[in-house]
Amino acid sequence: MKLGRYELTLEPRPALPPFHAVLTAVVAILLALAFSSVLFLSAETNIFTAYRAVFSYAFFNSHGLLATVHRSIFLLFCTYAFLVPLRAGLWNIGLPGQVYAGGLAGFAVPFVLGAPQVRALPPDLLIVLMMVAAATAGAAVGGFAGVLRARFQVNEILVTMMLNSIIFWLVAYMIKEGGPFMSATGEGESFGLPVPLHAPLLLGVPFTALLALGAAVLLDPLFAKTALGYRIRAFGESPAAARYGGIIPMALSLVVFLLGGAFAGLAGYHYFAAVPGVYKIPGNYGYYGDLGFYGIICALIARGSSLGAVPIVVLFAGLSLGARFAQGELRLPFGVDYALLGLLMITFVASHVLYRFRFAWRRIPPEALPHVSAELPQE
Amino acid sequence: MKRGSAAAPEPILAARGITKRFPGVLALDDVDLDVYPGEIHAVLGQNGAGKTTLMNILFGLVQPDEGTLEVFGRRVRFRSPHDALTHGIGMVHQTRRLVSAHTVLENIVLGHPRVRGVLNLRAARTEVETLGNRYGFTVDLGARVWQLSEGERQWVEILKALYRGARILILDEPTSALTPPEVKILLAGLQGLVRGQGITVILVTHKLPIVMSASHRVTVLRSGKVVVRLKTAEATEEILVHHMVGRDVAFRSTDRALPRGRPLLEAEQLAAFNDKGLLALRGVSFSLREGEVLGVAGVTGNGQEELAQVLAGLRPAASGSVRFDGQDITRLSPLQRWQRGIGYVPAERSEVASIAAFSLVENITLNYHFDPAFTRRGVLDDAGLERLTQRILSAYNVKAPHQHTRAQHLSGGNLQKLILGRVLSRRPRFLIAHLPTHGLDVEATAFVRASLLDARAAGAAVLLVSEDLDEILSLSDWVAPIYEGRFGAVLSREEADAETVGAMMAGSLLKGARGQ
Repeated sequence: MKLGRYELTLEPRPALPPFHAVLTAVVAILLALAFSSVLFLSAETNIFTAYRAVFSYAFFNSHGLLATVHRSIFLLFCTYAFLVPLRAGLWNIGLPGQVYAGGLAGFAVPFVLGAPQVRALPPDLLIVLMMVAAATAGAAVGGFAGVLRARFQVNEILVTMMLNSIIFWLVAYMIKEGGPFMSATGEGESFGLPVPLHAPLLLGVPFTALLALGAAVLLDPLFAKTALGYRIRAFGESPAAARYGGIIPMALSLVVFLLGGAFAGLAGYHYFAAVPGVYKIPGNYGYYGDLGFYGIICALIARGSSLGAVPIVVLFAGLSLGARFAQGELRLPFGVDYALLGLLMITFVASHVLYRFRFAWRRIPPEALPHVSAELPQE
Repeated sequence: MKRGSAAAPEPILAARGITKRFPGVLALDDVDLDVYPGEIHAVLGQNGAGKTTLMNILFGLVQPDEGTLEVFGRRVRFRSPHDALTHGIGMVHQTRRLVSAHTVLENIVLGHPRVRGVLNLRAARTEVETLGNRYGFTVDLGARVWQLSEGERQWVEILKALYRGARILILDEPTSALTPPEVKILLAGLQGLVRGQGITVILVTHKLPIVMSASHRVTVLRSGKVVVRLKTAEATEEILVHHMVGRDVAFRSTDRALPRGRPLLEAEQLAAFNDKGLLALRGVSFSLREGEVLGVAGVTGNGQEELAQVLAGLRPAASGSVRFDGQDITRLSPLQRWQRGIGYVPAERSEVASIAAFSLVENITLNYHFDPAFTRRGVLDDAGLERLTQRILSAYNVKAPHQHTRAQHLSGGNLQKLILGRVLSRRPRFLIAHLPTHGLDVEATAFVRASLLDARAAGAAVLLVSEDLDEILSLSDWVAPIYEGRFGAVLSREEADAETVGAMMAGSLLKGARGQ
């Protein structure tokens, strides 16, 4: 870009200090909030009232805070479901399908065992079984895409998107359209889990929070320190070099999709079985999994870091809930919450340029400036 | 045409005090370059000397931090290659930039500033034909680019630059992909352009014979500075090497007195398909003993890549078998081959043999992540890998700021030394080295060749694939010219002379191959 005698260019940046990375992220958040002021102003709402409503519900209201925590746990699992294959250069766009499959498998455990068995067995064992079943189902759906990718070079994005659709309709059949998981009243939701099978709470928070945070702590060192993590990263950077180095593409694709799918299955367990204890999907079939897709965004913004994803996930979870609350409370136009999150994504993604480039000012030498003729043009 | 430019004192292109800094590197330091009309001006230097940066500045791809350019006596500043072209400067890059499915004519016309919207190919054809006749250009304009040889493609690029009105042609390493006869044709053609049409040529290269046989003047760059400007007539290869390297370099060749060991590798009628599904390797047989070097000589694209990959396990053999140390390894995976002591140095250094965004330690890990000595319960031994990296960096003379530098910041020669050091540190019993010195400067080339000979002396069998006949002849115990997927013969070093091998590389004298 040229400004008079100076020009502004983007130059590659050799390395980025961590402080700078955090600062960039904070500026991106502030910028998104500044942009969304326009939304509130256009609805003739005082922006400070609006932001106070958003943040106080999301983070300073006991009701809202609990909802934020629940949603954060779910989003964290979704984020890891996308993040693990992403480190291997593969895009697990189909994580909503794996989430649904995980939920289904979780409910299948008490259904298959039957009521007498469920009463007879210790609930802790059943809960563990449900989680294992959910993780396995998610992994199976993910692994299917992984095998197709590795063995036949089928694009994993297409496969997982189509699997999403198949599994969504399977769930719809099972809980709404006459399938075996329907509730006795047939109200468009599954049978309810007996109270002992609801997730145990620690300080009012489901125990799945521990799993999610444990994964946050463990995944980064997995990638940085272990041979498996090295292979995943090498494959992500250069499949050809990884193959040269003895890594088997088939096995690696399968491993990351199994792992990612297992995380998505746990997300399904948490979202449907752990807390409400009932499997519900939107009544109009119009959309599905939109919340799961935020996991993709969070993994991309965190640039593959599991620990870095935690604050981002909490922010997205809180803002999505807070903005929805403010929308009802202040009678804002429909969709303000999505617009706010959308702006946040845009500023985050845009700020990523600054991780690799920096702005540079340069004076243009006078002889290079276009020559301005002193004579009038002759007509 | 007299050599030199005593008759033309005014330079047609002059760069003054050009300085360019990249993060952490001073690529060019106060460089002056004078090119006179109607001369072939060689710019000589090792990898990393700043040749390419300087040419990119002359062609408007890179802006200098300091310094000025004058073209045809006028002060200019190029913001893009388009500006350079309007001032009559054209560039032919080291890698071809043609659309291979299009015809020669379409490629020449493509992107011409006058072509907007409707393409009048008939008018363009007449124009290009006239131009081609004037410059003695004989390629069929209707031919598809993929059908052309590498030498012909180069002429298409040159004609393309001339069609856009270039009076000054920059050729970056123009001979790197050509066979010796093609090089001769190219140089003769360039001399014709200069003599007959008054075109000025800037020839960027690190090959001394090219400079000596074709140029009028030479400017030598070393570490971003001009070390000397000479008339070629007053220079010798020794003088130029001395300036280019800063001291004298000696190449080692094979010591034939060394004893050879027991039979190690036996390949029988190996055949393989290339990525397009065509049979590129068509029945190759050879056997190797420990401590022997088999030099496979050929022009790239005659099945060498497929041969190397089949031996490394990266490409399935369509037929045939490989026995290593008495065992059939034809179907083993790359990892199983690494573990049995087969090492591979691929030609694609930055795409296959290394990972640009990884640190040097992580790049060393590429051949060690499966090694029990460097993993404990699945966790990598970082400290051990760092010590190993440090050993390789010093033993193989790799110049790098530190071991956590990303591989992308290494020059080609240092990257190759790192890769070779990594592979040799596994003490392979059989080493596949594919174009190990391609594009390297004199010093790195000498170092890599010496390392291969050290491996041979330590008892390794080496398969050396190269386009450089001198390299093959000075390192090999056996020489196998390869042409269209077949060995012309497997000659002992005593039988292999440059003429026979060169002729077989070009597809003649192939008696042995016909019989297969």
